[in-house]
Amino acid sequence: MAELLQFVITGITVGMVYALIALGFVLIWKSSGVANLALGQLVLISSWFTYGVLVQAGLPLWIGFLLVILFALAMGWIIERFVLRPLIAQPILSLITVTLGIAFFIEGAVSFIWPKSVAALPNFFPQETIHIGTAVVSQEYLWAAAISLALFGLLSLFFKYHKMGVAMRATADDQMAVQACGIPVTRIFSWSWMFACTLAAIGGILMSSIGGITFGLVETGLKSFSVVILGGLDSFLGAIIAGPIIGLAENLGGGYLTPLTWSGIKEVIPFIIIIIVMFLKPYGLFGEVRIERI
Amino acid sequence: MNWRKLLVLAGVVSLALIITMIPLLSAGCAGSAEQPVKVGFSICYTGPAAEKGRPMGDGKLDCMKYINEELGGVAGHQVEVIWRDNQYDAAKAATIINELISSECLLFTTNSSKMMMASAETANRAEFPGFAVFSAPVLTNPPQHIYAQMPDYGDDWAAFAKYYLDNIWQGTEKPKMALHLLNNTTGSGARDAANALADEMGIEIVADEEHTATTISEIESLTRIKAENPDILYISSTPQPTSIIVKNAVELGMYPGMTIACGHASFTSVLVELAGTDAEDVYGVFPTVNWGDDVPAMAKMTEYCQEYHPDDFGNMDYITCWAEGLIVAEILRLAIDNVGVDNLTPQAVEEYGFKKLNNFDVGGLHGPVTYTPGDNRLSKSVRIFQVQNGEIVAITGWVEAPLIPYKFD
Amino acid sequence: MDLPAGTRNYTYAQDMAIFRTRTHWVLLAVLFVFLFTAPLYWGNYWLGVANLIGITIIAATGLNILTGYCGQLSIGHAGFIAVGAYTSAVLTNRFELPFLVGLISAGLIAGLIGMIFGIPSLRVKGFYLAISTIAAQFIIIWVLNHWTSVTGGFNGISVPPASIGSIVFISQTSYFYLVMIITVLVIFLAKNLARMRPGRAFVAVRDNDLAAEVMGINLFRYKLLAFFIGCFLAGIAGSLLAHWIGFMNAENFTLIDSVLYIGMIIIGGLGTAAGPIFGALFIRLLQQGITLIAPVLENTFTLPAGFTTGIGPMVFGLAIILFLILEPRGLAHRWQLFKAAYRLWPFSY
Repeated sequence: MAELLQFVITGITVGMVYALIALGFVLIWKSSGVANLALGQLVLISSWFTYGVLVQAGLPLWIGFLLVILFALAMGWIIERFVLRPLIAQPILSLITVTLGIAFFIEGAVSFIWPKSVAALPNFFPQETIHIGTAVVSQEYLWAAAISLALFGLLSLFFKYHKMGVAMRATADDQMAVQACGIPVTRIFSWSWMFACTLAAIGGILMSSIGGITFGLVETGLKSFSVVILGGLDSFLGAIIAGPIIGLAENLGGGYLTPLTWSGIKEVIPFIIIIIVMFLKPYGLFGEVRIERI
Repeated sequence: MNWRKLLVLAGVVSLALIITMIPLLSAGCAGSAEQPVKVGFSICYTGPAAEKGRPMGDGKLDCMKYINEELGGVAGHQVEVIWRDNQYDAAKAATIINELISSECLLFTTNSSKMMMASAETANRAEFPGFAVFSAPVLTNPPQHIYAQMPDYGDDWAAFAKYYLDNIWQGTEKPKMALHLLNNTTGSGARDAANALADEMGIEIVADEEHTATTISEIESLTRIKAENPDILYISSTPQPTSIIVKNAVELGMYPGMTIACGHASFTSVLVELAGTDAEDVYGVFPTVNWGDDVPAMAKMTEYCQEYHPDDFGNMDYITCWAEGLIVAEILRLAIDNVGVDNLTPQAVEEYGFKKLNNFDVGGLHGPVTYTPGDNRLSKSVRIFQVQNGEIVAITGWVEAPLIPYKFD
Repeated sequence: MDLPAGTRNYTYAQDMAIFRTRTHWVLLAVLFVFLFTAPLYWGNYWLGVANLIGITIIAATGLNILTGYCGQLSIGHAGFIAVGAYTSAVLTNRFELPFLVGLISAGLIAGLIGMIFGIPSLRVKGFYLAISTIAAQFIIIWVLNHWTSVTGGFNGISVPPASIGSIVFISQTSYFYLVMIITVLVIFLAKNLARMRPGRAFVAVRDNDLAAEVMGINLFRYKLLAFFIGCFLAGIAGSLLAHWIGFMNAENFTLIDSVLYIGMIIIGGLGTAAGPIFGALFIRLLQQGITLIAPVLENTFTLPAGFTTGIGPMVFGLAIILFLILEPRGLAHRWQLFKAAYRLWPFSY
């Protein structure tokens, strides 16, 4: 029984971390219809930049964070301007593949600039663990969960009420109509990529303070795909809810199935969930079902 | 004619010429007039394992430079090193081993067990001897032409288990051990050793958990382990997941309390950096000395490292490969002394070089190297370390890892 | 296809011929002579590289049929190659069946597994399908790693050398002939597939699958057929790879390899028969180039520590991005333009 509580708490908190990364993905999908397969690598390079700024250059915390945010904005702008804008009307295969190319390039750039493959960030959060009943959870996870929820709230409000947010949704729906209304579509794409990179940077900072900076951040990006698929590609609410669900499935499934089946089954559970969701409800729990016409 | 077209035509023609010339050029790059002694290195300089591969590559190349320049080669003959970057890719390693064989190298080495596995079949069929710095049990059992420079992950487990039973365990019944293993040969090596020897040594394995190299939380598996109340947790993995496990164990209140020990793949300064104060008093096994220890080869190695690759200073992997260079030189020296430089073939080098190794001390950098029939491990001892006050400190001398009766079909 | 000026087609066979003029046949003969006498002047190393390129071409052709012709994006191709490799390894090692049985079974079982993981393609398209193929690869690799009793788990499994009857393919030369013959057959198969009914159905499905269904093309059948053929070829490639390396370990098949295959067919040219050849050549030669240059650069310059680690992926990423921006139809299209320009020279303006 005590185990169950521990599994549940761990599952929810770990899931919120996945949801944080998934939010960045949903943002780009919602505003430009591009599937960003380079998400893990964006998280990686933001984390390394944080390391470079905080540890190698030794700047104080607040200036460091500001620089990281600026870096993320700049990177988003550069990616959109030089890589995605030439490909505006291309079929989706090209867009997905070019994000794969960006992913490769960023991985190489990271190895080039920071040859160490593992590094630790200084601790931002207090280190004592919090006890909930008999379960323990470290404060970093709680902070990550809280920040995810805050970002989710901000993003939902932004997309619903702010002029730019509404324009982004309109662009994802029908680019030509938006252009006919006089809204500069390219500027919308720029802003959406810049926001997404910022989200990736925040996610990266939180995740690296939990587990250090390694290439594993990319794999966690892959797990966020399962969150995105389950929740629906274009729904923030879906990402926030599906994140804990996947986390719970991993921990509960891993916790109770491992003694019965094989050890290590925990790592394959998110992918099995993807396949099951594909069969049953391809657009996810909260995704918008696209009706296709010839 | 249009200049642009001319340029494009010239570019295409020169590209075609280059492509056809590459095979001819590289084929002609073989031996020189005098007969140098050739060895082949397959190094993972780039790719996923570059973090270990680069300092290891630097170590062995610097050592060969030292041997050629300061010691005048091996028994008066310069050693020609042919090295290739296998990018930690099995297909690449397979092409490289073919190149090394056809370039008339006398022996070859690789950094990692995975690269050796990709090269082993070809090497064994061609009777081309070689050794892997970091090895895996399946490479040396059954023993053929592949050797292991240092004890592997299974040996780490056996050595630490022996040390634990002799020095730390105070109870009367069997101690309870939980294993937390990485999902590749690093982890399965320890598992295979535990399966083969635990009963005989008197240890009860109560849990066998697996994790990935990219995990961010092992609370779930540690909760299960906690329920079994183990006395010792043995982790065979790489630094980052090990740090996660240690930190989670501290959070769950399991540590301090039980003993935690790590295999050599994770026990480096990176672990201490990532886990911080949680890693205090964690034990670890490592097959070489640490930088700064007082052994004969330390001075020369430090000098070359500081001069040519100062970034690698402090990295234990550099030590393993400096030692590898010394062993390669020793093997060649024994072979030349026994059969003469004109009769050197890969088979002769194996018979009169590898198999004649007897208590070669490798400058004190790791355990002495001896070949015993039936055991293809060149060095069989490790050293137990512990993290004390944030530093990695050796707490034993050389501990011999017993030969483990694996059963691989 | 561009034909020289003055070539008229009077029969259906002439119209449909791949090698239409005498020049075509002569060039083809020269190519075959060059290829099959290559062992005479290429050393062991380059024969090994050629074997790897041949195997890659087979796998890339499979992916091209699946993604290029039929439009089903699959980023899990390395997983299906792994299935083929392990099937062949297990059948020849544990059950001691002959190599040809292992080869064909590898293809069939990989095709079958491909069909099973291709079933989502009936409900989802585009990005969703790509994600489910990534999931498929992870699941396949996990199963291969953990099914220790059959596959040897993490320790891997050793693969006996290929042999047909009394010929044992151990040396690079003999393996070269085996791989080249199979590669030529596979390319021929792919080229003809595009011209037959299944190929045309694939292209219709790619362009607009709803319209194709309205026209009477059974989506269920043809999408699964595309997955089957694509993964069948991946299985064949995997089996050849296993017998070439001699040792099989699931760690060899990562997501990066799958992405590399997608890169290959994009750079080579989607939906063309020659595309996979160009793409495989480009990527493999680039990799070999980096492998050969690294020692030279290390010895001559003192480079920053991360240079050799980072330069490979950076170059690949940049190549993929540049090709997609500047030449989205790939090298095959450039080749077509070159041929057309050559024919029209000096009027090619």
